[in-house]
Amino acid sequence: MEIFEGLMGGFATCLTPYNVWMALLGCLLGTMIGILPGLGPSATMAILLPITFGMDATPAMIMMCAVYYGAMYGGSTTSILVNVPGESSSVITAIEGHQLARKGKAGTALGLSAIGSFTAGILGTIGLVAAAVPLAEFSLQFGPAEFFSLIVMGMLTIIFVGGKSIPKSLMSAMIGFGLGCVGTDIVEGKDRFTYGIAELLDGIDFVVLVMGTFGIAEVLVSAEEFMKVEPIKVKFRELFPSLGEILQCKWAILRGTLIGFIVGVLPGAGPTIASFVTYGVEKSLTKTPEKFGNGALEGLAGPESSNNAAVSGAMVPMFALGIPGSGATAVLLGALILYGLKPGPMLFVENADFVWAVMASMFLGNVILIIMNLPMVPLFASLLRISYALIYPAILLICIIGSYAINSGLFDVGLMMMFGVAGYFMKRADIPPAPMLLALLLGPMLERALYQALNLSHGSMLVFVTRPISATLLVISLVMSIAVGTKAIKKARSMVQDEQN
Amino acid sequence: MTPAQEDKLMRKADRIFGVIGLGLSLWFYLESRKFHYMTDFTPGPGFMPFWVGVILAVLSGFLLYDTFRREPGKEDGMKILPKRHALYRVGFIFLMLFGVLITMPLLGFPLTICLFVAAILLSLERYSLPKSIGYGIAYAAVIWLIFEYFMQMGFPKGFLGI
Repeated sequence: MEIFEGLMGGFATCLTPYNVWMALLGCLLGTMIGILPGLGPSATMAILLPITFGMDATPAMIMMCAVYYGAMYGGSTTSILVNVPGESSSVITAIEGHQLARKGKAGTALGLSAIGSFTAGILGTIGLVAAAVPLAEFSLQFGPAEFFSLIVMGMLTIIFVGGKSIPKSLMSAMIGFGLGCVGTDIVEGKDRFTYGIAELLDGIDFVVLVMGTFGIAEVLVSAEEFMKVEPIKVKFRELFPSLGEILQCKWAILRGTLIGFIVGVLPGAGPTIASFVTYGVEKSLTKTPEKFGNGALEGLAGPESSNNAAVSGAMVPMFALGIPGSGATAVLLGALILYGLKPGPMLFVENADFVWAVMASMFLGNVILIIMNLPMVPLFASLLRISYALIYPAILLICIIGSYAINSGLFDVGLMMMFGVAGYFMKRADIPPAPMLLALLLGPMLERALYQALNLSHGSMLVFVTRPISATLLVISLVMSIAVGTKAIKKARSMVQDEQN
Repeated sequence: MTPAQEDKLMRKADRIFGVIGLGLSLWFYLESRKFHYMTDFTPGPGFMPFWVGVILAVLSGFLLYDTFRREPGKEDGMKILPKRHALYRVGFIFLMLFGVLITMPLLGFPLTICLFVAAILLSLERYSLPKSIGYGIAYAAVIWLIFEYFMQMGFPKGFLGI
């Protein structure tokens, strides 16, 4: 009942004309930027974040969530029509969707993708509402020790599950923790790593890092070559899949939604793993596995639903605990801080109206997207015909303006460019930037929680293992570390044996 | 380029990153020594940088060791430096970005944007001079209208007073 009342209050807030306009604008801009080849949802949100500067928190967050969903939709369109996935979560969409498009079924692929995404978006948001509130209430019992253990577990999961190479992900996280040390320290109020630069006293701004490593770096990677894309043409009347095709995919969509939401809730797992797991499940359940890889409808609808449901799932720990589970939710969490809100369980207590309005807006966003996307896909697809040479200078300029707007100074612009250069080489060296971003956000929180926990316990480290929730979280972290470590040792041994043989 | 050559380059990239990581870890460690490691009960300002330095050193060492141990052709992705023409394109964009930083206080915001866009289109994308300047003016006008005129964001003004 409490949830229902909260949600109704949220709808009352989000359905004001201004907030509906923000959701509409967010969906439109998210789709338009997300459709550009090579730009994923994280980069899209990073690029569009400055637009929300100066807005109130509620419309700003409504817009950013709409941008996220819009970018996911836009990314699917590019994957299907051009075979260029903007982010790894769209890889399966590109494989199956583009095969369908090449067979003249681009409209069916786009339509099924939109219907799957819409269903998953709505059901996933219901799951988010149902799961986030009890989790937030439970986490009100958390003290500094529990938060410390939770952040440790969250970071480890992101590192172990998210990246291709664990050492590289860990290194990225350590650099992020190091960057988080910059500024005035919380214990003695001393300046760390500031070297007399006044702009660094408040630490490195999250927006500067995210625009550099996600915005500038991704644009630079895309701008390496003369990018000429020739999207497969699609007509309006082809956009609606037949009833038979929808019914054929109904269970794939529902399975994808369930798997996506559950996987999305786990920190670090996110939409990519969700889409791959769903693809595997669908392939194992189908009677025609030979169609997979050659344009299977279920192979497209399931993973596409799954990666959208995972978006809602990933927002559960973000809203309830203040712990982002992926790069994209880290951008959203950073935005929350930027708007002057304090993420974590107290968000539900202190800013309940805000949380409910944002959750309600996700229903609205999904409705706007399906209404907008189905008829307007040919128009969005035509954006792919604009030369990328004309688009990337504009994106770079928006990044410059965004970083300038933080403090109305060129220092942040310079810092963002340096992070852009670093992010570019990190991408080239296969080092994921997301752990660095998360560590920049979580590092100061981790340090504060450690300081507060040890202060309360008069310096006794036992506080982390004598409190049941904290101990449980640390045991999970330990088990996870041992499992990953054992696997790595086994792998190394087998490689040595192979070399000897 | 053969896979073996690509692998060699990737291992080289890992080695470079390993060395950078070691350098960073040394920096964190040395900086941490300027602060207290612990206070009475709690970690001091030097605690976090110290452990960041130590863990980063271990990881960098492991990455370096792994590049010597690793069998060629496995777990490799892109190489750290792009091909020559891509390097030229990216390098030129880097230069233009840093050029924006230097010229904006001198030339002002709209003129800098105009030159930035025109230089990229002319030099990298092989647009004609009039087209490049035309697009530069159009971009500058649109951005000035949105961000300076409507959103009232104050940008640096140059010698022309704009």
